[in-house]
Amino acid sequence: MTTNFEKLSTGDTIDGPKFPVSRESIRLFCDGSLDYNPLHLDDDYMKNSFGKTNFGGIIMHGMNNFGLITRMLTNWAYPAGAIHRRLETRWVKPVKPGDTIQPVGIIKAKQTTEKSRWVLIDVLVKNQNDEKVAIGEAMVEFPVQATT
Amino acid sequence: MAQAEVFETDFWKDANLRKVWDEIVPGEPRKTLPYVLTKEAIQLYCRSVGENHPLYFDEAYAKASPYGGLIAPPSIHILLMFSCTPTDDWMRTPGTVNAGQSWSYNKPARPGDTITLQARALDKFIKRERLFVVHDNVFFNQHGDVICSGRGQTIRPM
Repeated sequence: MTTNFEKLSTGDTIDGPKFPVSRESIRLFCDGSLDYNPLHLDDDYMKNSFGKTNFGGIIMHGMNNFGLITRMLTNWAYPAGAIHRRLETRWVKPVKPGDTIQPVGIIKAKQTTEKSRWVLIDVLVKNQNDEKVAIGEAMVEFPVQATT
Repeated sequence: MAQAEVFETDFWKDANLRKVWDEIVPGEPRKTLPYVLTKEAIQLYCRSVGENHPLYFDEAYAKASPYGGLIAPPSIHILLMFSCTPTDDWMRTPGTVNAGQSWSYNKPARPGDTITLQARALDKFIKRERLFVVHDNVFFNQHGDVICSGRGQTIRPM
């Protein structure tokens, strides 16, 4: 069903895609993003501690979460003629090969401004143990001419 | 593939030329490089996050859409950040940990765009013995339109 601004309610959810994380998926993200930080590809380097943190192996790029959340939001917005306008995220837990992650959105509020209409969405990414790995919020614009 | 061939994937190279936390001056512009965004680069990025929307892959579909042609997903700034960053920039320092980001989107980037970046460190601070730098960034296309703007926090390696 196509999303419609009037019919959206606080608490409505958006289910994002499940994403299996592997050494290969992380390597592909290096190639796709050109972010070759050794955090994401060098096992020997990851034996070190970073400040007080030891990750115990390579970790997924935090921005891979960001890309998945974006994919969820745009796939939700495009059919409605809506436009993804803002995303703010924070990482709360490292993601490692073998994890499966999934972004979720929860409609937090709707706001009409002088010239447009906006939906505020709480977003989170959870892993296979239902732990939050990333949290944030997004803003999607529903231009008035997109009304049906 | 030209971009990928010239891109230095060894982030240790030139590591000695990069500023450490102590040397980063908030407010000082970062040196950046213009970057020609290709369809191939967009689609490689898309595959890395499982993006398969026809707006990014299907020219006929995209042409008939309100966008009038192929576009890149909003999150393409993840690729643009490193594409526009020279090898001696502190953004590439091994061990740089991303602590969170916020981005606003104006116009989509498109295949063939020449992207430029205006960027700087905006702030730096110490929290729970960790060294943070806040960076802010604005990406433009060749027409001077803002593509997107954003701010991020990194924890600097010690």
